[in-house]
Amino acid sequence: MRLAADRILGFALMGLAAFIVAQSLSIEVPFAYDPVGPKAFPIGLSILMAIFSLVLILRPGPEGDWPSASVLMQLGLVMVILIAFAFFFVRLGYPITAVATITAIARLFGASWRAACVTGVLMAGASYVLFTAVLEISLPTGLWFS
Amino acid sequence: MFDFIIQGFGVALTPLNLGLAFTGALLGTLFGALPGIGPINGIAILMPLAYTLGLPAESALILLAGIYTGAEYGGRMSSILLNVPGDAGAVMTTLDGYPLAKQGLAGPALGISAISSFVGASIAILGLTLFAPLLAKVAVQFGPAELFTMMVFAFASMSVMMGKDPVKTALGAIIGVLIGTVGVDSGTGIQRFTFDIPDLYDGIDFVVLIIGMFAISEILLMLESRLQHGKTGALPVIGRVFVTMKEILYCKGAMLRSGLLGFLIGVLPGTGASVAGAVSYTTEKRVSDKHNTFGTGDMRGLAAPEAANNASAAGSFVPMLTLGIPGSGTTAVLLGALMLYNITPGPMMFSEHPKVAGGLIASLYIGNIVLLLLNLPLAGFFARVLTIPRWALVPGIVILSFVGVYQLHSDMGAIYLMLGIGVLGYLLRKLNFSLATIVLGFVLGGLMEENLRRALAISGGDSSILWQSGISQGLWLASLVLLLGPFLLSRLGKRKTQTA
Repeated sequence: MRLAADRILGFALMGLAAFIVAQSLSIEVPFAYDPVGPKAFPIGLSILMAIFSLVLILRPGPEGDWPSASVLMQLGLVMVILIAFAFFFVRLGYPITAVATITAIARLFGASWRAACVTGVLMAGASYVLFTAVLEISLPTGLWFS
Repeated sequence: MFDFIIQGFGVALTPLNLGLAFTGALLGTLFGALPGIGPINGIAILMPLAYTLGLPAESALILLAGIYTGAEYGGRMSSILLNVPGDAGAVMTTLDGYPLAKQGLAGPALGISAISSFVGASIAILGLTLFAPLLAKVAVQFGPAELFTMMVFAFASMSVMMGKDPVKTALGAIIGVLIGTVGVDSGTGIQRFTFDIPDLYDGIDFVVLIIGMFAISEILLMLESRLQHGKTGALPVIGRVFVTMKEILYCKGAMLRSGLLGFLIGVLPGTGASVAGAVSYTTEKRVSDKHNTFGTGDMRGLAAPEAANNASAAGSFVPMLTLGIPGSGTTAVLLGALMLYNITPGPMMFSEHPKVAGGLIASLYIGNIVLLLLNLPLAGFFARVLTIPRWALVPGIVILSFVGVYQLHSDMGAIYLMLGIGVLGYLLRKLNFSLATIVLGFVLGGLMEENLRRALAISGGDSSILWQSGISQGLWLASLVLLLGPFLLSRLGKRKTQTA
């Protein structure tokens, strides 16, 4: 059996369906509020999902084009930058993290160092003013500094 | 009966709302023109910010609806000029739009598409005004059982009309419904699938879901396409944007037919602009392509999908305002926006919130005129938006997404969830899922379960309540026809060719 992306997806969704059924069955309902209860709907859906997953496993669609290893590295890098943005967002505050994130992402998307840095400073500054002064959103200024 | 529209114009013509309709139209066109950002992403990114402005519900909806219709206008830019559809609804626009641009007729192509969009939208808004209150009157009589069968019908029409792959459409909808079951069960107060994570107790937030699905996954796709294809092509010369009367009359039939068709497809729950564009183009080709000029730069081939996708945008408000069932992925997002205001759209919308329903419809009339006036002279300016480099655009999407989610939750858990959903969305898009099916599943699923359980609670567990009334029976029948029809038709077609 050829290992197509759709087959992997089919097996993954079947596993998910089984997991949801198991989870639903373990829900304890102390009192019958309505004849259906909270279990039936997710279980029914999981069965439907398992049926469609089986179709996917038996008749997978055309294989899409998947990123090469080097592209995958870059995609991972974007996610690392975004997670770092989230991690330092409150700790270092919006202004500093925004400058760093915007510069890094602009670089990743092919800007020169100069353009990336200018974009980082200008966009972070302008957006900070827009968000705090115009839209009155309170943004973190840095837990580590206070 | 039509008091609501008079009251609606009273709401829409206040300076604030007039300004918002204008701003929405402008922002929407800009967002639609930006590469990779269609109406659904644009609204997803701007919705939390619109909420912070502290606007009343009708004003926020007017702004978001302006962005929606504006983005349908903006989406054609990259289709015509670069042969890259700005969003799924604009795929058909490339077929005759790009050949026209290559012949040096980019300006007239933009002009004719603006006028067709205007004509299509006008037909549909009129239809919405006449049709919605009538449907609402019928829908008031719907009980939980009828609403449940209505959802079944919505899913059936979605699985048939959306995408080439019905299995993945179904799976996408199921995944969406299942995401919606996370959190406290409204019927019993019992927690489902929360795994003792406090962030999940209230369920997966709608804003977090759509920003993750649409904005974050888009960033990953943009980076991938940059690394694989390099730079996009240069803009062709735009030239005159005005259109001659002769050209308009040449496309008259295509505009009117496609506008009507687009409206009907928009009304059908679950199907949106992409279906409308495809169906109208193939219909128009069959009706008027006598000399095989479609696909080589025939203006009618451009006018048809443009009229249809704008008409479907307005048409998809019909089921949303009357039944609480979104007519498209984007109206599903708008529905979520209304729920932020604790307004649940449904048959009572016209009687309980006439300001919101009427104001929205009236603002569509105004927005439509604003868009035409904005798009004819400013086409050249909007086209220049296409040349904004990705490295300046993507960081903007990132900060809007982060700040949008942060200000609604003030909690980093929601941001990490958004990033996780973004990776999931990227994988699903690579696997050829349509994200709109997932969003529709998410929005419809909760309503579906609620109504099913209410219906069965009324009947004391007797499931025959689900097909007792005439409305339910009609909807079950319609769903069956939709699901089995294409299959039977293709069988029939095969037999004919065999006997011939």
